Amino acid sequence: MAILFLLIPLSVALVFVILAGLWWAIYRGQFEDIEAEGERILRDD
Amino acid sequence: MSTVFIYRDRMLPNTIAPLSLLDDPQEWSTFSRSVRMQPHVWQSSVVFQGMHCAACAIAIEDALRKVSGVGAVQISGASHRGLIEWSDRQTRPSEWMAAAMNAGYRVVPANDGIANEQRRSDARQLLWRWGVAGLCMMQVMMYATPVYLSKPGDISPEMVQLLRWASWVLSLPVMFFSSRHFFASAWHDMNQSRISMDLPVAIGIGVTFIVSSWGSFEPSGPFGGEVYFDSLTMFVFFLLTGRWLELRLRHRTAGALEAVMNRLPDSVNRKTSGGQWERIAIRRLVIGDVIQILPGEAIAADGTVLEGLSQVDEALLTGESRPLSRGIGSTVIAGSHNLSSPLLVRVTQVGAATRFAQIVALMESASVSKPEIALAADRWAKPFLWFVLLSSLGAAVYGWPQSPAHALMVAVAVLVVTCPCALSLAAPAAMLASAGALARSGVLVRKLQGLQALASIDTVVFDKTGTLTQDAFALADVQTREGLGPAQALFWAAALARHSLHPVSRALSAASRQEAAKNHQLAEWESLQVNSMQETAGEGVEGEIGHVSQPNLYVPKGKLRLGSGRFCGVNLAEAPFLRAVLADETGWLATFELQEEIRSDARETVQAFIKQGLHVMILSGDGDAAVQKVAQALGITDARGGCSPQAKLVALQKLQSQGHQVAMVGDGLNDGPVLAGANVSFALGQAAPLAQSKADFVLLGAQLGVLVPVWAHSRLTLRVVHQNLAWAAIYNATCVPLAILGCLPAWLAGLGMALSSLCVVFNALRLSTDLKHN
Repeated sequence: MAILFLLIPLSVALVFVILAGLWWAIYRGQFEDIEAEGERILRDD
Repeated sequence: MSTVFIYRDRMLPNTIAPLSLLDDPQEWSTFSRSVRMQPHVWQSSVVFQGMHCAACAIAIEDALRKVSGVGAVQISGASHRGLIEWSDRQTRPSEWMAAAMNAGYRVVPANDGIANEQRRSDARQLLWRWGVAGLCMMQVMMYATPVYLSKPGDISPEMVQLLRWASWVLSLPVMFFSSRHFFASAWHDMNQSRISMDLPVAIGIGVTFIVSSWGSFEPSGPFGGEVYFDSLTMFVFFLLTGRWLELRLRHRTAGALEAVMNRLPDSVNRKTSGGQWERIAIRRLVIGDVIQILPGEAIAADGTVLEGLSQVDEALLTGESRPLSRGIGSTVIAGSHNLSSPLLVRVTQVGAATRFAQIVALMESASVSKPEIALAADRWAKPFLWFVLLSSLGAAVYGWPQSPAHALMVAVAVLVVTCPCALSLAAPAAMLASAGALARSGVLVRKLQGLQALASIDTVVFDKTGTLTQDAFALADVQTREGLGPAQALFWAAALARHSLHPVSRALSAASRQEAAKNHQLAEWESLQVNSMQETAGEGVEGEIGHVSQPNLYVPKGKLRLGSGRFCGVNLAEAPFLRAVLADETGWLATFELQEEIRSDARETVQAFIKQGLHVMILSGDGDAAVQKVAQALGITDARGGCSPQAKLVALQKLQSQGHQVAMVGDGLNDGPVLAGANVSFALGQAAPLAQSKADFVLLGAQLGVLVPVWAHSRLTLRVVHQNLAWAAIYNATCVPLAILGCLPAWLAGLGMALSSLCVVFNALRLSTDLKHN
């Protein structure tokens, strides 16, 4: 079980990596105007 | 709305202009209107950032009123919007904006891109804070689970210590990022020596974190070895979930307002004097410009169609859900959408004069008006907060000698379990959601108080002309002198009538034009000349007919007159309908009988009200015979004609003194005093200029059919408000004592508080669905 002493700190680090991903997604506007992507196919240009 | 066809590509400024820029009259006029009858007084519409509860609205109002030159201030806690009246002789926008900023709230002028951009960045920031809290909470839960599940001795003390360390590390972002806002605003409120919702929250979070950190790093310390990182992160996460949902509700309903406001495009194609097209900002449009509106675009200003035939969608402005056909000569209104083919439009109204702007202004003033029930709830929220703070202090002091850690956690539970939020959100959230739904059906709520009053009415009073009947008359019968055909008589009458705007003239002219079109004589009809036309207001028109090309027509002798019997020198017998007489110098030529057309949905509406047990009556200024005829057609037993506005008001007050709650439906123009005197009033929006209407509700589409659904919706709204208030009261009355007694662990308290807020918001959301038409 000694491996847990490595894995738990690693999991903490992983949370921060995922948070960075979430930050990127939110501030790129990925969660806004969710319908627009689906409607884009109906667009002429 | 057919969103599929509509795309809005918007370039928004990312920078926010310094306040002093707004001191230019041209700048402030984009978000302000001058107040009628008061020179130099402006009413500005602004959005506040940093507001989080009803108490903030009071704080801002206080701060603004201290600025000299600022008059009435109205702020809505639920929509974060405000209307501020100020005099440009004594102050400038930058001055009062700075005052609000000193109180801790950013002010952004409404109606421009900045507010939009700000709203988006608020939403992003809240989502980000919520995401951080959520992810950290999940992981902290993971670390907490082994300790909960294991038997003593299963996990080595070093491992427990490691798990605590990991939980502590992941609580840091929750503590210092996600909940930073709670601390900041609690701190700010304390500096301003007042309390708000965030204070108990901030104390609760802070104390939990300190106790848990102490427990993690010094288990032998005064607070023992217990940690509460899981409760802490969960509480923050739930709290932010509640805030997030509240934000969504606000964006969606003050939101229905946004939807209306955002309907105008930023720019439009205008024809230059050289016949070229140029793209200009709609602010620069002037009356008389010719603009082009492509399919899928919103119409930028009120105007008349010059070229093209298309379908337009006016759903948001009139509640008319079907596309309407608009061809050459017909009018289009700003904010409606062109659906099928390009239109060329000559602009007749721009900016604040458009019907669209009037609607927006009405909605804005409604969203900041506070119903009585909400004011009552606000009055309760503040003493309640004090009670909570004091009782949690009491609980901590009482338990301290036995176990400081336990005493502190009981105090925390008391702080986090209470939810004055539910109390102060209950009424405004429900009413705003409801007003949004009504707006989508073409019913504007001018005062939220009206919703409350409407729910308890037992009598509906209708005006007749223009309300139960249409504004326009229809030609029912023509009697003529021997030797003169009805069609000919109508032809001559129309020649005079089409130069007059009187409703009778319009009816005759329309009937004749239809007749001519049927017989393919439209060209002659239009080319007929009338010389020395003269109109006597309220009496009739006279004039000489010019050249007559058709040989077999009777040629009138001398001057033709069209109007009342007296005007034409003819004696008429009494009759229950409206008549117009045509005469020439030899005397009587023809009599036209006109009929009022009863609105198609009037009978259905009246019957629905009667079926629901309401008393329905007519009070009209028209002759008694005509009123009885309409009443009979509609199945109304109680109808009174010949009432002056004063007599109507007296009749209404008599009903009220008998204990009746009266709703008045009128055209909003002649019924001003009666509408104001009724418990709740409806005006049919097409008759009167919207801004002058005194009614609580304005029916934009002039359809009586929505009255019954609106009434049903108002009853549902009041029911939801009562449910919300009852829920908030019961919840707090049970949970606060439990928490004080120490029966509620911190995590359960957090969960309870979050759920009680969510209940209120979700219950209010039920009202934002569209009206049910039966």
